[in-house]
This record gives sequence, C-alpha cells and structure tokens, in this order.
Amino acid sequence: MRNRTFKIIFGFLLLAALGLVASIYYYNKPHVDVQKSEATYVLSAQNLIDQYRNNETDTDKKYSETVIQVKGKVFEISTLKGNSVITLKDEGLESSIICHMLPEDNKRTLQFKKGDEINVKGICTGYLMDVIMVRCTLVD
Amino acid sequence: MKKIHLIVFALLFYHGINAQDKFLTKEGYVSFFSHSLVEDIKADNNQVLSVIDTVTGKIAIQMLMRSFMFKKALMQEHFNENYVESYKYPKATFSGEIINFSDLNEENDETEIIGTLTVHGEEKEIRTKVNVEIREDGIRLKGDFNVDVADFKIKIPSIVANNIAKTIKVTFELDHKPYK
Repeated sequence: MRNRTFKIIFGFLLLAALGLVASIYYYNKPHVDVQKSEATYVLSAQNLIDQYRNNETDTDKKYSETVIQVKGKVFEISTLKGNSVITLKDEGLESSIICHMLPEDNKRTLQFKKGDEINVKGICTGYLMDVIMVRCTLVD
Repeated sequence: MKKIHLIVFALLFYHGINAQDKFLTKEGYVSFFSHSLVEDIKADNNQVLSVIDTVTGKIAIQMLMRSFMFKKALMQEHFNENYVESYKYPKATFSGEIINFSDLNEENDETEIIGTLTVHGEEKEIRTKVNVEIREDGIRLKGDFNVDVADFKIKIPSIVANNIAKTIKVTFELDHKPYK
C-alpha cells in the first residue's frame, strides 16, 4: 500500500516537473534562426518592392514576419550600432530594401561594393519608404 | 494609415525645390520599456523613419511594429499577434511639430514637441520635452515620454496583467541627415 502511494506521488511530481520544464522552455524559446531556416519565398529585390508599391496590405500579409530571400544590387553598405546595413537598390529607383544584418555577417559584408549582385536572407518586417528586413544573412 | 503616408510624402516632395530644408532618417531609434514586479520588458526599433521640415518645424515619423525586437521570441510573438495586432495595424505613426524650431541653437536646445501618436489604430495627443541637437550635417532629437496602454485600446489578458505595466516609457533618438 505504502509503495503504491509513493508511486502515485512520484508520478505526480514527475508530471509537475515535466510541465515546469516544458513551460520554461516555451517561455524561453529562441528567435527564428535565419541562418538555418529555409526561405519561404525567394524573389528579386525589385519584384518585392513592386509588389509592396502595388498592394501594400496584401503584400505585407504575405511576406511580413516571414523568412525571405531577395536578390538585388548593393547600393550602399553602412553600419548602425556595430551592425552592417546593406541597402539593395537599382540605380535610378526611389525605393530600396534595407537589410539589417546579423552581427555574425559583419566581416562578410565588407567584401562587397556598390553594384555587386548579392542574395540576402532575412525576416521581412514591412514597408515604410523602403522594404525593411531584419536578422539578415548573406547567402552564397 | 494612408493619411500619414501623405504627410510624409508631402513633407518630402511638396517643396521639391527646397530639398535642403528637409532632414531625414531611416534608422531612427525608438524603444519602449515596461517595468513590473514580475519582469522588465524592453523592445528596440532601429528602423524608424522620420522627416523634419526645417522651415516649419513639422515632423512626421513612421515605424513598423514588427521591427520592435524583444529579448524573448515569445514576447515578440504575443506583442505582434495579440496586443498591437500588427497584421491589422502594421505601423505606428507620429505627426506633429517641434515648437519654436527656428529659435533653437547650441545654447538653447530644449523645447517641446506636440502632435498625434497613432498606435493600434488609436490616436493620442502627445506633448513632451525634446532635446534638439542641430549640427550642420544633422539634427538629432532625443527624449522620452510615458503612454498608458489603455489609451490605445490594447487588451492585456488578465493572466499576464501583472507582467506588463499600465504605463509604458517610450524613448526616442532620431538622428536626421540632410535629404538629398
């Protein structure tokens, strides 16, 4: 009898412990790892900009909060608070894609210059005057 | 949403000839901070768009709610999906005026900024102190103010009511460059 009570209590404790571990894990779940994630959409920078300019609401629903990969020409490379920012833009156009890079990519961004065609993967957060992407990484 | 777009574009392009009157940043910083007994929550946005017209002192600011970065992914998810409903209201905007802008200089760099803040589709008049640093190659605005979550009809579930402050501190630093 004693043995049985012990087993029941032990079972409950085990469940409670598992629940606690699961909830801590859920609470601390990590951000999307862009480097390891597969891009949901792969498209050209200009295509993405055109879609946003034609229909911002629907385009935003499709791409925002999603890992996407864009191909475009480097217009400018700058730094903001120690992280690289790459602006993808075709000559003569108003809108661009502003890619805020992951710190891990700082060194690799240095090798590029204006006009180079590159692939960038990151999370789209939406459109202001330009399309904005965060947690970006270069794709070979 | 359309209205603020017009304001930004009007500020930028209306007086096309006097482009040197416009100062702009696409990398402005806005953060908010919630302090409660249970936890402190902070989120940073480094992609804020802001335009100042130096003739009138008018200012227009736009930011994407999804550009607010939280330490914890779960908080960011709840913020976007449940609280500010970013799929419905993807942007927060501010449209207003820097008071006595033309009187500002190196010695006299404190003034007030008044205008309308729109978050979650709700408008709220804001009047707050601002530090304005005017240089030849830029204008930097710095300041902070408090907002009540309830003013923006943001519903916080009772289960996490103790984790999130009723009043949120908003900090901003916008370093504008001449618009070419």
